[in-house]
Amino acid sequence: MTEKKAIDRKLDTIPKLLLDHARERGNRPANRLKNFGIWQSWTWSEVAEEVRDLACGLVKIGFQRGDKLAVIGDNRPRLYWSMVAAQALGGIPVPLYQNSVAEEMFHVLENSDAKFAIVQNQEQTDKLLEIKDRLPHLEFICYEEPRGMRDYNQEFIFYYKDIQQTGRAFQSINPDYFLTEVEKGDGSDISILLYTSGTTGEPKGVVLTSDNLIITARNSIDFDNLTSSEEVLAYLPMAWVGDNIFSLAQAYVIGFCVNCPENPETVMTDLKEIGPTYYFAPPAIYETVLTKVMIRMEDASKIKRSMFNYFMELAKTVGIRILDGKPVSFLEKFLYGVGKILVYGPLRNNMGLSRTRLAYTAGEAIGPEIFEFFRSLGINIKQLYGQTEASVFVCAQPDGQVKADTVGTAYPGVELRLADNNEVFYRSPGVFHSYYKNPESTADTKDPEGWVATGDAGFFDDEGHLKIIDRAKDVGRMTDGTLFAPKYIENKLKFFPFIKEAVTFGDEKAYASAVICIDIEAVGNWAERRNLAYSGYTDLSARDEVYDLLQECVESVNADLARDEKLSGSQIKRYMLLHKELDADDGELTRTRKVRRRIVAEKYAVLIAALDDPQQTHCEIDSQMTFEDGRTGTVHANLQIRESSTIKSHVQTLAA
Amino acid sequence: MERKIGETLLGVEHISLSFGGVKALTDISFNIREKEVFAIIGPNGAGKTSMLNVINGFYHPQQGEIHFKGLHRKQMRPHEAAVQGIARTFQNVALFKGMSTLNNIMAGRNLKMKTNLFWQALYYGPARTEEMINREYVEDIIDFLEIQSIRRTPVGKLPYGLQKRVELGRALAMAPELLLLDEPMAGMNIEEKQDMCRFIIDINEQYGTTIVLIEHDMGVVMDLSERLIVLDYGRKIAEGTPDEIRGNQVVIDAYLGVAHTN
Repeated sequence: MTEKKAIDRKLDTIPKLLLDHARERGNRPANRLKNFGIWQSWTWSEVAEEVRDLACGLVKIGFQRGDKLAVIGDNRPRLYWSMVAAQALGGIPVPLYQNSVAEEMFHVLENSDAKFAIVQNQEQTDKLLEIKDRLPHLEFICYEEPRGMRDYNQEFIFYYKDIQQTGRAFQSINPDYFLTEVEKGDGSDISILLYTSGTTGEPKGVVLTSDNLIITARNSIDFDNLTSSEEVLAYLPMAWVGDNIFSLAQAYVIGFCVNCPENPETVMTDLKEIGPTYYFAPPAIYETVLTKVMIRMEDASKIKRSMFNYFMELAKTVGIRILDGKPVSFLEKFLYGVGKILVYGPLRNNMGLSRTRLAYTAGEAIGPEIFEFFRSLGINIKQLYGQTEASVFVCAQPDGQVKADTVGTAYPGVELRLADNNEVFYRSPGVFHSYYKNPESTADTKDPEGWVATGDAGFFDDEGHLKIIDRAKDVGRMTDGTLFAPKYIENKLKFFPFIKEAVTFGDEKAYASAVICIDIEAVGNWAERRNLAYSGYTDLSARDEVYDLLQECVESVNADLARDEKLSGSQIKRYMLLHKELDADDGELTRTRKVRRRIVAEKYAVLIAALDDPQQTHCEIDSQMTFEDGRTGTVHANLQIRESSTIKSHVQTLAA
Repeated sequence: MERKIGETLLGVEHISLSFGGVKALTDISFNIREKEVFAIIGPNGAGKTSMLNVINGFYHPQQGEIHFKGLHRKQMRPHEAAVQGIARTFQNVALFKGMSTLNNIMAGRNLKMKTNLFWQALYYGPARTEEMINREYVEDIIDFLEIQSIRRTPVGKLPYGLQKRVELGRALAMAPELLLLDEPMAGMNIEEKQDMCRFIIDINEQYGTTIVLIEHDMGVVMDLSERLIVLDYGRKIAEGTPDEIRGNQVVIDAYLGVAHTN
C-alpha cells in the first residue's frame, strides 16, 4: 500500500517525487543503461544525488529560475536527470528531436530562448556550434559523452561530469540549497516545453505544467493498475510527449524502473534482455515484428510451421477470449495451455514481450490482423488516442473492451464532445497551459472554458467508443449527406497486404470510388505461386486475375463500412488498379510516403472523371513517369474500371 | 591526448623482393615515424600489398633490412611481428565468418592472454579473471567502433562495410603500435568511407597508434596521411607530403600511364 500513500501526498513536482522515492525506496533501481555490454543501474537515492550534483553545478555556472535548458540526445539516464535538475531549479527543460538537422533545431532553440543545452555527444554539439552564432541566448553547451571532444576547448563547452564535480563542491558549502530550491516548486509551475513536430508550418512549443503531467500520470496509473515493479524500455524520442509521460512522469509518480538501450540500433536486443512489463510502440513497430515472425515461419521446417499455424488459429479464437475475461471451455483452455508451452511462450520471449502485461499503440490506425495477433498471444495490447496538448491521454481502451477499430472511451478525467462537423473536442486536467509565445494559436486551439480542438474527426459507436476517421478538414460529405472520410477507407484498404496505396474520392459525389496501387511484391508473389506470368507492374496490375483478387479486398472493406451506419453510404462502388506505383519522385507522395491527394486528383483527372461516369468501363491515360536516374518518360495505358458490390445496410449484413 | 610525431618507429632499408624471376619490390627504403599516418599508394600491381606483407613478416625479402622500435631484423614470422606490436587488416576481409563479432575481436586479444588452453576450457581461476579483463578491453573497442548492435551477430551475415569495421576491431584488440591497413575503404559507399576515415583519425589521435595505409581513393589518402610514398612497378618513385606528391610529374605519369622506357 506504500504506492497509494505516495500518490496521496502533496508531491506536486517531479523533483519532489524524486526526493520522496530516494527516501522511500532508496535502494530500488530507478534507471538502467546498457553500456559496454553490461546493464548498469542507478538506485533512486543515487539518481537523487546525481540530479542534485548536476543542479548545483548548473547553478554555479549561472542557471537561474525560469531559464530554459535544451536537452538533445538518445534516451540516456543522464539526459533525463538533466531535465529533472532543471525542474528542481525552477527551470524549464526543452527536449529536442535528436535526429533534427541544425536548421530545424534553430527554430526551437530560438523560439524557446534556451540558455543552456545538455547534449549527448559530439554530433549534437557540432550541430549547436553550427548555429550558435545566430542564437544570442544560448550561453552554455554541456556534453555527456567525452568521445571525440578532445579538441573542443571553447570556454562555453562543459563536460557533464565536470559540472557535477563543481556541483558537489557547491553542495558541500551550501548543503541546504538544493532542498530549498526543490521546495520552492509548485504544481502550477511550468514543467516542460515540448515542440510539436509541425506537419503544418513551424513547430509550436506546448507548455505543460507539473499538474498537467503529474495528475495525468496518476490517472493513468489508476486506470491501468501500474505498480512500482513495472519495467519499461525508454526508446522513443525524448522530445515526444509520450516519452515524458511513460518514462518520466509515470515512473516518478509510482517509482518504477526506466531502462535505456545501449544505442538506437540495439533496441530489439535490449528489449529481449529487459522484458518490459509495460510497453509502448507505434503500429509500424508491431507490424515489423509480425512480418519478421511470419517470414521466419515461412523458412521453418514443415512440422514447426504446421504446429505454428494450428496453435495460432486456436489462439485467435481462444486467446482473445481469455484476455477479455470471457468464458472458454475446459478443452480450449487445455489446448491453449499446450500452445503456450510450444508456441506462444517461445514466440513472446523471442519478441522480448514475455513479461508484457500491458502494451499500448497510438498515432496511426493499426491493422486488425496485427492487433489480433498480439492479443491472441495474451499480450494485452490496447489503443489510445492522445495529443501533446492533452499530456497524451484523451481516450484509451479499458481492459476487456478492446476493439481494433476504435480508440476506446474517454480517459478518466477527460470530457469529450463532438462538433457539428464531427471534430473531436476534449477538456481534461492534462490540457496544456498555452503555446509558448503564441497567444493567437493558443486561442485558436483552446477556448476560454478549456475545450481543446483536436483537428480530428470522429464519432462514437454504439458502446460509446470513439472512432477517429480522419483529419476534420479532410472529411467531406457525399451528395446524399453521408460522411466521407477518405483516409479511414484508404487505411482499411491498405491493411490488405496486396494493396500498397489507395486514394479514394467521394466528397460531393454520388458514390465513392477508389484508385488502387497493388503491392508488387505481395501480388507478384501471389502470381508466381499461381504460375501467372507477367512482365512488370503495368502488366500485372491489368490482369483480370489480379482484379478478381482485389475485388475481394474492396468488397470486404465495403462489408466493413456497411457495419457503421454513418459510413455505410461511403462504400466503394467503382475502382481501378493504377498502372504505376505512386511515387515521391513524381510528386504523388510526400517523402514520408503520404499520398498528396490534391496532386493525384489533378494528375489523374481523366481517371477520376471516368470513375464518376457509370457508363465507362475503360479509360485511356498517358502519364509522365520519372525514372530513378532522373529521366522522364510517358507511359500509355488502357485501364479497366470495375464495379464492386456494395451492401445496403446494417440489417442486411447480419442476415447474410 | 597530445599527439606528436616522434622518432622513427619502423625503418625499411633497401628492400628487394622477388618471386622466382618476377621482381615485386626493388630497393625500397623509407621511414615511418611514431604516431604518424603514412600512406602507400600506386597503380595496381605496384607492390603495395607486398610491401605490407614484408613489414609484417609474411614475405621474406631477398635483400635489405627492416628495423622496428630500434631492433633490426632480417627475417621474422608474422606471429613475431604481432607480438612486437604490428597488427593489420586485409584487402579481402579475413574474419572467422561463423563466429560472432565479439568472438572475432576476442580472438585478436589472444596474444595478450597468458593462461593456457586447459584453464581457459575450464573457465576457472586466473583464466576467468583474464577473460574478464580482456572482455572489458574488447567492449571498449566495440563501443569505440559503434558496433554494439552486432555484438552477437555471426560475422558472415554482416554487410561488407561492417565486416571491415569488425576486422579493424580485431586488429585494434592487439593494442598495436603499428597498424597496417590494406585498402580499408575498398568497396564502401561514401557514408561508410566517412565513418572509416573518422575511425582512423580517432585511432591515431586517441590511442596514438601509428598507421600505414594503402588506399586507392586519392581524396581519402590526401586528407588522412601526413606523408606518403608512391610505388610503381615495385620501385619507389616519390616520397613526401600530400601537397608535394600532388604536383609530382613522375607520379602523375605513373597514374596516367606514360610508356615505360626500360
